[in-house]
Amino acid sequence: MPVITFKGLKKSYGPVEVIHDIDLVMEDNEFTVFVGPSGCGKSTTLRMVAGLESVTAGQILMDGKEISHLEPIDRDIAMVFQDYALYPHMNVEKNMSFGLRLAKYPKAEISKRVNSVADMLGLKPLLHRKPGQLSGGQRQRVAMGRALVRDSSTLLMDEPLSNLDAKLRVQMRAELAIMREKIDKNIIYVTHDQVEAMTLGDRIVVMQDGYIQQHGTPQQLFETPANKFVAGFMGMPPMNFMDAMLVEESGSLMANGEGFSFQLNTLKNKHHLPASGEVILGIRPSALTPALAGDDSIENTLTLPIKICEYAGALSVLISEIKGSRVSIEVDSKNNFKAGDNIKFSVKPSDVYVFDRNTELAIY
Amino acid sequence: MMKNASESRQSPAFYALMVALVIMSVGPIILMLTTSLKLNVDVMSDTSSLLFTPTLKNYETVLCDVLWYAPEHVDYCNPTFSRALGNSIFIALVSTAITLILGCMAAYALVRFKFMGRGAISLTTLMMRMVPPAVLLVPVFGIWTFSYGLDGTFTGIILVYVAMNLPFVIWILQSFIVQVPIQLEEAAKMDGANPLQIFFLVVLPVIKPGLAAAAIFTFRIAWNEFLLANALLDRNTRTVPVTIVNSLTEYDIDWGVIMATGMLLAIPPIIFTFIASKQIITGMTAGAVKG
Repeated sequence: MPVITFKGLKKSYGPVEVIHDIDLVMEDNEFTVFVGPSGCGKSTTLRMVAGLESVTAGQILMDGKEISHLEPIDRDIAMVFQDYALYPHMNVEKNMSFGLRLAKYPKAEISKRVNSVADMLGLKPLLHRKPGQLSGGQRQRVAMGRALVRDSSTLLMDEPLSNLDAKLRVQMRAELAIMREKIDKNIIYVTHDQVEAMTLGDRIVVMQDGYIQQHGTPQQLFETPANKFVAGFMGMPPMNFMDAMLVEESGSLMANGEGFSFQLNTLKNKHHLPASGEVILGIRPSALTPALAGDDSIENTLTLPIKICEYAGALSVLISEIKGSRVSIEVDSKNNFKAGDNIKFSVKPSDVYVFDRNTELAIY
Repeated sequence: MMKNASESRQSPAFYALMVALVIMSVGPIILMLTTSLKLNVDVMSDTSSLLFTPTLKNYETVLCDVLWYAPEHVDYCNPTFSRALGNSIFIALVSTAITLILGCMAAYALVRFKFMGRGAISLTTLMMRMVPPAVLLVPVFGIWTFSYGLDGTFTGIILVYVAMNLPFVIWILQSFIVQVPIQLEEAAKMDGANPLQIFFLVVLPVIKPGLAAAAIFTFRIAWNEFLLANALLDRNTRTVPVTIVNSLTEYDIDWGVIMATGMLLAIPPIIFTFIASKQIITGMTAGAVKG
């Protein structure tokens, strides 16, 4: 499968540049997920790979061969659309074989391919139905099947699960992961759902405002986000942010804020810290653990008034507030906290992320 | 419709109105049907307007040319009516076909392609439709006859009908094409379809209801049109409406035959509408995209 490379990729609509100079290499047989809020340019990027949008500047290379000016059919790609885009006047079989019929494949070959893909996706009993007679999940599978039948090296998916209801989405996500094991293809997947990105992707590309904020494996993005945006985007519930001032106290670095004072002795690149000392601290909701009563030996504690307790089964999310900004904490439901409680939480120094307040870049 | 039809005081007036409307709309058709089944003797007599022996002789006279047997009562078989029926069917079908072919392509181009003057063209097509045919009559007659020699030919009248119907057909089809999700065309593009294949294999089947509506409209206009047909056509190419009017002479009016022709004139549009309306199924794009 080819290596797909973006070189200085740009896209403008008139005077408005929406994709700014993207460089990226997607390795052989990699599942790459583009993720970001709506309007970040992820779909536009995908459509440029597909050949549905022209490239304003830069290149898209497949194994070193420039493809940005080729017709979609000559790019060796197939695409699954967000809205399925099934041909309403054709039955499932005709929908899936449309591309092959256009390419004048022999009939035996077409039916062989359609049948094998239909088998894999469980579409066999539906082959003679029209899209109007299918449920959302079935349509989604047909759209997937239509792309797979083409047997191209690269599969593009534009938010394929976003039109399904929550339960079906989780189910299809698992099916997608299983299907992924069976096929040997590059997959480029666009979604705004970070859970989908984390669970499916080999590599995640986080985009915002037409820039790539960071790319890497799900763990890399989750554990070492490059900046405040990535840190806040990846992970559910999102990371808590609070303003703090850095001070040097008896040899150790402290971050002082409203109602807390954290020791940051795990920080390595201290020379990257802003001279002004103005930082934003980031703490994941799961990193805050309730401190045992009476134990004053633990450092880095924070007492929070609980406003709301969102019970969600094994875990509960507590919502609190510091200085007007919301703080959420993920705790074991067995703790049985109630709204109105004042709870003391502790956090490990290694779980505190530090961001420069001006550049919003992470400092490790 | 009355607000409360069940209120008994309003009912008599309501029903009287209904009856009047039914008589007005159905009356002429019944008169035409009964007259077409009468001999001239019965038509003219004052006494037997409702009591008569129905006969198909008038129909036999009209269709004597195409019947497989020679009707006994017809001494001289006048081919005018059957010829006119044939002309009408030919002209209506051909002009409908040409109008639809040109119309769907023009509408697609107006909706999907960006080119200079698109908005102006889109608007003017509809404004062209506002010109009454009677205004066109004299210039069209002049140009067709003296510049191109198209008077009395099928080509001439079909051209006029196509020109007359095209703006409205484009306008109808535009609204159908706008509703075709763009993703469908993109999906076809990804499947390797060229623009013509996208149009014929994806867009046209999806807008079939629009094509059917436009076809009914075009066919009926071409079928019923009298003014231009009367001016442009000669005795060999005349359509049925012109023939009927021409057969009302000061010497002889064969009411039975005229009414039989009228009945025959009414049938093809009904059949055509019936066939075409089967294509008008709501929700043609159901299942195409999540809506």
